[in-house]
Amino acid sequence: MNKQNMKAKEPQKPSLVPPWLASILSAIIPGLGQFLARAYTRGIIILASFASIAGLLGWRIYEKGRRYVEIKTIIEKAYKLSPILLIITIFLVLLYLWIIADAYFTARKSNKGSRSYGAGLLFFILAILFLLGWQIGDIDMGDFFSQADDALPTIGRLMWPWEKAIERPEDILTITADIISPCQDIEVPVAEALEIDPYVIITPTCGDPTEVDGTPGTEFHLVGGNFMTGQEIEIWWKDPNGNEFRQRQGGEYIKVMPDENGSFELDIIMPYRLVTTTVENENRIWEIQARQLLSVGDAQLSEEFKLAIEKMIETIIIGMMATLFGVILSIPISFLAARNLMSQNLLTKIIYYFVRTILNVIRSIEPLIWAIIATIIVGLGPFAGIIALTVHSIAALAKLYSEAIESIDTGPIEAIHATGANWIQTIVYAVIPQIIPPFVSFTIYRWDINIRMSTVIGFVGGGGIGFLLQQWIRLLDYRSAGIAVWFIAITVMILDYVSAEIRERYK
Amino acid sequence: MLEIKNLTKIYDDGTVALKDVSFNVEEGEFLVIIGLSGSGKSTLLRCINRLIEPTEGRIIWNGRDITHIKGDELRHIRREIGMIFQHFNLVKRSSVLKNVMAGRLGYTSTATSVFNRFSEKDKEKAIKVIDRLDIEDQTHKRADELSGGQQQRVGIARALMQDPKMILADEPVASLDPVLAHSILLNLEKLNQEDKMTVICSLHYLDLVQRYASRVIGLREGEIVYEGMKSDVVAMTDEQFKEVYGQEAERVGSGLEGSLGH
Repeated sequence: MNKQNMKAKEPQKPSLVPPWLASILSAIIPGLGQFLARAYTRGIIILASFASIAGLLGWRIYEKGRRYVEIKTIIEKAYKLSPILLIITIFLVLLYLWIIADAYFTARKSNKGSRSYGAGLLFFILAILFLLGWQIGDIDMGDFFSQADDALPTIGRLMWPWEKAIERPEDILTITADIISPCQDIEVPVAEALEIDPYVIITPTCGDPTEVDGTPGTEFHLVGGNFMTGQEIEIWWKDPNGNEFRQRQGGEYIKVMPDENGSFELDIIMPYRLVTTTVENENRIWEIQARQLLSVGDAQLSEEFKLAIEKMIETIIIGMMATLFGVILSIPISFLAARNLMSQNLLTKIIYYFVRTILNVIRSIEPLIWAIIATIIVGLGPFAGIIALTVHSIAALAKLYSEAIESIDTGPIEAIHATGANWIQTIVYAVIPQIIPPFVSFTIYRWDINIRMSTVIGFVGGGGIGFLLQQWIRLLDYRSAGIAVWFIAITVMILDYVSAEIRERYK
Repeated sequence: MLEIKNLTKIYDDGTVALKDVSFNVEEGEFLVIIGLSGSGKSTLLRCINRLIEPTEGRIIWNGRDITHIKGDELRHIRREIGMIFQHFNLVKRSSVLKNVMAGRLGYTSTATSVFNRFSEKDKEKAIKVIDRLDIEDQTHKRADELSGGQQQRVGIARALMQDPKMILADEPVASLDPVLAHSILLNLEKLNQEDKMTVICSLHYLDLVQRYASRVIGLREGEIVYEGMKSDVVAMTDEQFKEVYGQEAERVGSGLEGSLGH
């Protein structure tokens, strides 16, 4: 105690160089003046931070102007593209001057036998580093706020995707009329309007398609009636070869909205179509179709919703299986990794360190990376996810379990021994009651983590809902993705609550 | 009943805990071992039931040399010797009843005890012992929910389940306040006087020693430096006291007697 006090009061040894020389030295190598003024750590910190700031700044300037050759142009371009670099440069110069001044005062203070404090300088250095961080991190708040607006509809779909959760089964109502091409002697009678059922009438009933050189074909007049109101009607053709296609007119697919009576009228030019034939000038029948999409039956859960539920279950199973395998395999390993059990002789100590090292290495590799490795072995799918999470769980649980074993109170063991119990009885009565609560608690905790992890492990092919989510995001199907996100969030929340409750009980 | 002959214990790290210790214990004695922490009291007690293997010397239990016995023989000797501890050494997360039942393990086969099956007779015995120590209200509580004094009573109950002929008590009251210390020692005294159990107990406070001991052994650095009967202890001078506890020791808690009304 006394010694420490004396050390604190011990006066600072005088500087090795006079203050003016310290300044000059710090001007040549920043920090050298402080170092020779016996403020060793201060000098080293100043040199290290000045050098790293200057280095980072140089790199960023080069990055911004890398397309240019001349140094002057590079710098000019960089400042123009990223004005923050200019501010940082000015600060760096200020820092340089401050360091020179600081060297002078540090040396003078040392000569007087006291220490100087550099909180201001340190703060300034940190400020410049964070400014650099802002530039390197490409932080642009303007971007964030201006583009957030555009992203709102997408985010909206993600946040409230439930429209996609329900769908109505749909049926297509197709009403057709025949056209003979080219026109023949035989007349095809014009159809008549029906009273209740939907119908289409085409006039005339024969004509020629548009030529390949662009000569327009016959113009037809299409009349329809008794269609459902409020639902668009698409116009399709079926050529004599039986191929169905939708006609475009003026770049748009032809569609028409029926009026309040369910009727419509439309003029159509017969489109061009390459038709293969065996007999020249054979009578060929074309078909014009009026198609209307109709919902039939009750609303039901959509395919995406069902798929999301299936995959969510798969995800939970992946997490559970990984936890089960992890627990089974990590219990024996945890005994090998418990210091108190393994410090008996050299061999057990070697095993202890070996096991611990391997566990540390395995644990330091993220489950996502394990999943990628597992997909190489067993291919895409839930099994890869289970393997990845199992490997990581073994490492994590074995460490936690072994720490629980290490923290066993030896008192009860001694006491049970003293009653004349044999070693099996001692383990059952003194060891197991002590390790069961932490084991249960750690296992539940791991189960929680595993299910959480299994939601993202699908992103790299490990099966489960992550796989689906990643696909939907890539297909820009944000509604479906939103359903998956909701499921993940709900599951994780429930899990969080349940695992916290159970762990509380086993404290 | 118990003869300790030239007992020496040297730990692996070279610490000499006991040096050529010899003494006899007669049936029905309340033998108190005094000494500073580290003087070898705990080692001595643990050598008696062989929780610690002595390096040299012999332990004779009822005329039988138990220094080197092993396996079932050793366990059968251990169950005749109950032991209680300074820190109670209960399984904290188990119930009081389970902790007490554990005292019966030496009489129970491995298979039945693993599944927590004890005979009805044992269960009745446990209830009786728990009643006797006034902890019947705590029977189904977890051991760590109990106060220190109650926990030590559970410790005594566990020892009593062994039907011991002798009780070893390693600083049984060092973690308790003076009021509880007396109540625990009164329990031991009752066992000693009513049930004729031999008690070997290590203690710190001279006042407690004077009150409860029928005979006293003083240990210092692993050697016996004092031996006396109850009358000697009551008349023990500060000089003799310092002989055992070293020059820095003073009588502590001399004011306790008054406050407790003993």
